[in-house]
Amino acid sequence: MSDWKQNLQKTRYVMDVIFLIGFMLVSAPQATGLPLHEWFSVVLIIPFMIHLLLHWDWAKSSFKRLCSKVTIKERFNIVWSYLIYLMMLLVFVSGFLVSEAIFPFLGIPLEIQDFWSKIHHDSATLIMPMLGVHLALHWSWIIKFTKRMTTKETLA
Amino acid sequence: MKHLNYRLKPRLTVALAISVLISLMLILLELTPWAEQINLQGYSHGNGEKPDIPSYMRFILPFVKELILIGVPMLLTVFVMKFYGFLKSLYKAKRINN
Repeated sequence: MSDWKQNLQKTRYVMDVIFLIGFMLVSAPQATGLPLHEWFSVVLIIPFMIHLLLHWDWAKSSFKRLCSKVTIKERFNIVWSYLIYLMMLLVFVSGFLVSEAIFPFLGIPLEIQDFWSKIHHDSATLIMPMLGVHLALHWSWIIKFTKRMTTKETLA
Repeated sequence: MKHLNYRLKPRLTVALAISVLISLMLILLELTPWAEQINLQGYSHGNGEKPDIPSYMRFILPFVKELILIGVPMLLTVFVMKFYGFLKSLYKAKRINN
């Protein structure tokens, strides 16, 4: 595991695990409390961006591949990835617009609309099963790299 | 992390620019009749009385909810994909035998 920074797939694995743990912490405001939930959300933008950057080549070529002849699974995976990205942005945007800790802390007055409260609650709930499907679409990769990361590599 | 640092600035700028642009477009949703309707109807979440459960459960239950909401669709999708793969291999084997 020590060489994970040198190998792209291993870097992706480690950063995705961090992103997933961060996501789970942020998605439990009842456990962490609202101020921590909001500040964690801001920090979560970093692993979210890292996730996008580490899959840059895939993201760049995905639209082209969508228009070419690919399997149903791959087509579904591309569309699903776009949808989950949009949903993630919606959760972030609505979260900021219903902020009760960050904006008051920064001295910015914010009138919270019921619409954004509902959107934030619904999108945050919906993104969880969406994430489940997203993980399932990469199941074989997850299993393969979990094994590779947890077993000690022996020198040939 | 060499893979992350490779062309970091231009890539990060593009990723952030696209995300901010889409986010700004999403804010426009509040101008729709849908938003107006919800604002008129009113919505409140989490303002009710807290259920009478031990404090440690109040900490654990949100994570259990998450595990179920993520885990169940994940396992169902994995099952559907494995089943689809099984049917496909069965169909292929049948075609070869015929």
